[in-house]
Amino acid sequence: MLQHFDPNKDYGTPARLSETLVSLEIDGTTITVPEGTSVLRAAALADINIPKLCTSDNLEAFGSCRLCAVQIAGKRGYPASCTTPVEAGMKVTTQNASLAKLRRNIMELYISDHPLDCLTCPANGDCELQDMAGAVGLREVRYGFEGENHLVAEKDLSNPYFAFDPSKCIVCSRCVRACEEVQGTFALTIDGRGFDSKVSPGQDEAFMDSECVSCGACVQACPTATLMEKSVVEMGQPEHSVITTCAYCGVGCSFKAEMKGDQVIRMVPYKGGDANHGHSCVKGRFAFGYATHQDRLKSPMIRDAIDQPWREVSWEEAIAFAAKRLKDVQAKHGRDSIGGITSSRCTNEETYLVQKLVRAAFGNNNTDTCARVCHSPTGFGLKTTLGESAGTQTFDSVMKADVIIVIGANPTDAHPVFGSLMRRRLREGAQLIVADPRRIDLLATPHLKEAQHLALRPGTNVALINALAHVVIAEGLEDEEFIASRCDDDAYRAWRNFILEERHAPERVEEITGVPAAAVRRAARTYAAAPNGAIYYGLGVTEHSQGSTMVMGIANLALATGNIGREGVGVNPLRGQNNVQGSCDMGSFPHELPGYQHVSDALSRRRFEQAWGVPLDDEPGLRIPNMFDAAIAGTFKALYVQGEDIAQSDPNTQHVETALKSLDCLIVQDIFLNETAKFAHVLLPGSSFLEKNGTFTNAERRINRVRKVMPPVAGKEDWEVTVDLANALGYPMDYRHPSEIMDEIASLTPTFTGVSYDRLDELGSIQWPCNGDHPIGTPTMHVDDFPIGRGQFAITEYVATQERTTSRFPLLLTTGRILSQYNVGAQTRRTDNQAWHAEDVLEVHPHDAEVRGIRDGDWLGISSRAGQTVLRARISERMLPGVVYTTFHHPGSGANVITTDSSDWATNCPEYKVTAVQVEKVSQPSIWQRQFHTFDKLQHRLLNGHNDQAVVTSGVNR
Amino acid sequence: MSQDSLATLIQMANQIADNHRYHGSDEAAAEHVATHLKKFWARSMKRQLIEGAGRDASQLSPVVKLAVKRLASHQSDC
Repeated sequence: MLQHFDPNKDYGTPARLSETLVSLEIDGTTITVPEGTSVLRAAALADINIPKLCTSDNLEAFGSCRLCAVQIAGKRGYPASCTTPVEAGMKVTTQNASLAKLRRNIMELYISDHPLDCLTCPANGDCELQDMAGAVGLREVRYGFEGENHLVAEKDLSNPYFAFDPSKCIVCSRCVRACEEVQGTFALTIDGRGFDSKVSPGQDEAFMDSECVSCGACVQACPTATLMEKSVVEMGQPEHSVITTCAYCGVGCSFKAEMKGDQVIRMVPYKGGDANHGHSCVKGRFAFGYATHQDRLKSPMIRDAIDQPWREVSWEEAIAFAAKRLKDVQAKHGRDSIGGITSSRCTNEETYLVQKLVRAAFGNNNTDTCARVCHSPTGFGLKTTLGESAGTQTFDSVMKADVIIVIGANPTDAHPVFGSLMRRRLREGAQLIVADPRRIDLLATPHLKEAQHLALRPGTNVALINALAHVVIAEGLEDEEFIASRCDDDAYRAWRNFILEERHAPERVEEITGVPAAAVRRAARTYAAAPNGAIYYGLGVTEHSQGSTMVMGIANLALATGNIGREGVGVNPLRGQNNVQGSCDMGSFPHELPGYQHVSDALSRRRFEQAWGVPLDDEPGLRIPNMFDAAIAGTFKALYVQGEDIAQSDPNTQHVETALKSLDCLIVQDIFLNETAKFAHVLLPGSSFLEKNGTFTNAERRINRVRKVMPPVAGKEDWEVTVDLANALGYPMDYRHPSEIMDEIASLTPTFTGVSYDRLDELGSIQWPCNGDHPIGTPTMHVDDFPIGRGQFAITEYVATQERTTSRFPLLLTTGRILSQYNVGAQTRRTDNQAWHAEDVLEVHPHDAEVRGIRDGDWLGISSRAGQTVLRARISERMLPGVVYTTFHHPGSGANVITTDSSDWATNCPEYKVTAVQVEKVSQPSIWQRQFHTFDKLQHRLLNGHNDQAVVTSGVNR
Repeated sequence: MSQDSLATLIQMANQIADNHRYHGSDEAAAEHVATHLKKFWARSMKRQLIEGAGRDASQLSPVVKLAVKRLASHQSDC
């Protein structure tokens, strides 16, 4: 890997980026480093390792342990090298008799209040205190252990993942500073003074009762066994590690999977990871236990109908069964009667193969991906305006932003590691504007200066973005030079005339959005005046009937203010799942071949036809909701779903269930019996990210390697299963390793021509485009021009959603995610993350609760025109009155029983964020929930081979 | 194809037209709508919309009626 530093070494203090270089002499060696570098770091860069305890190169120097004391010619005493910046001509001595004595004395004091149980300590072999005792040559402790000490301090085992043993604490405060500087939560503090000083979560609370978010930064920072992973306590120190990529959100953190044999002991965020720089969240850091959960599917299974027991079969029999069913369906109902769904949780290589299977072996373009229900509007909107279906920046770019606009996203919950980086920038003084119906945690960032919250009504995004743009243009705040030099003139003039219409003025729009005009004007001025203004957005933008329009509106605003094409600016979609970007890049959408090449483009199609050896359909195929409609209509009869749970994640659950029951053949490939699999005829066990090789592409277009650390539970990596299915269908696929699949992708995708596994190993990661023009990738997009030449302003007419409140459904439901659970919860529900969110609840504003006599904890029936479900109430002021909120992490909650078929006009991305509902107190689960539990029970019995007709419900008709 | 799925397609097409209503005349908007349908809708969906409109166009917005005519002409050219 090409690294400008050794990511496995701790250089003591953070790097400084000054272009001014300073030369000094350390132990007779001349060293040149950037101005502002500490003496400690300068020495470490020259491989002169000064003992240290309270420092770490991800934290600002603190100077409390004094172990890194040095002598500097011309200076008195023993300055701490961590807090002493280099000076030109400085002569530093790091080792001599007096320094040795000083360090031994310091260590002696530390050890005098530390249990000497090294041999039975879980940190044995991985303890900086132990290392430093050795480094300074400590041989005795003269003070004895009879005096006052902390050796009997009580352990806090409340957190499911790590233990806190204060008897081993040296109060270096690295954990406290990691919580502040790295994570930005400020959950920890040093309580008391002097001898009584101790690390305390909150006001002397247990970790689980405090504001701790279990990111693990404190555990990683701890130099002793005070904060230690319980897995290490139980299983001992790992013996080897493999660098891989997290399979949770779109941040795509790099981790060292630390192993004993093929058992993961712990996941440690990798400092060399360019997306996360050594930070993590509770999911990636700790919630990996699902990979070895007892619920994992271990054998292929087949059945003729969904009320029959599953029959365990060999891979060969399952694949042959699936292939025959697919062929039979096509023979009876035509070539277009089958399709496939790729997964944003699987690798690039796997999604590429599934869409290739559909296009080349099925012979149609009925391929889609779960991005349909999250970021398909991003693809449409950014391709239309900027020419590429991807975000424009690196995550690190936020550190150069002066104004940050966050629209419809909740980074501290859904993209926590990036949320922490954003918080760091906000603490440095960047201004924050949040456009969201809900008061997100980012607005509660400690040390945040005054933030602007535009609490708009759900469904009115486009009206708001138009009002912001109106202010920019009407007040002459646009970047005329950028517009003239980079944007299409005709499109700009048309848009300018449109946006200047008085109906877009904040004062006129206020009635629609509910946001005071003055607040809109202020926000627009703040963004337009910023040297660097950056926009980040999430599913609160895309999952609307005008999701695509809103994405274009965001791009319009960035173009108008010249906030494109350099660090600190840009349009940044925060992708939900780990490989949403990649699954889109890989041609999962029915209208686009890999690299966003439209199927109707004869030149592109011909290259694929030549490579794949078959003619390809030149018309788009069915999208997921179209597949459901066609299934119910009887024209779509078979579906291959890899790694997605459409029965839980897609809207209008009852409609989806009806569609799935209408299929003659449903093939589900997954690691668990998910909700979709309960309607399946073929069950193909999937492999977790720990069990396969491949790549994921994160929200900043960064392609990262996924490396196999353990064998697949059921014997095959997911890509191998698709290969087998293709071959069984008579379409030959012959790959021996995913690297060969990537080579094929690179040969057919202009933005990937420079990507290979060798190159990834060399560079660590690559941000596409990576080709002849960009041999090491492209951190910042659109620097000189756009893929479409000039930026295209798009007309963004506001069209109110049809999903609006009525006297029958007077409230608006909006849905979202929380930190500890991930998407449909299939993974996180099978970990101790359940401790934080064991059920989905409905957040209700106190005003709406009072009107309905609702108290916290009451059971609430939530009804929409699509269906009804029942959730427990949580009274919350995070939303405006009239808006209720829930998550969809638990299948039995039925959040998507309520969401409707309303969708984005351009992409059919469901309008999860706006559903008109009524809420009332109830005393029992909904009818759907009762049916769900019966069906769930039945399917688990059938999974175990039982044929119990007594529990077969009338709802099971095939 | 069921009436339900045709109704869904008509609703979708009308929604697309609603989002193109700023483009001057109905003809100009219809051109945008037809282009969108060509580019993003499956062949079976376009065919069903065209056939459905031929039987009963009463639920189609004026812009969609024009767009469907363009689409039909394009499909027959293919």
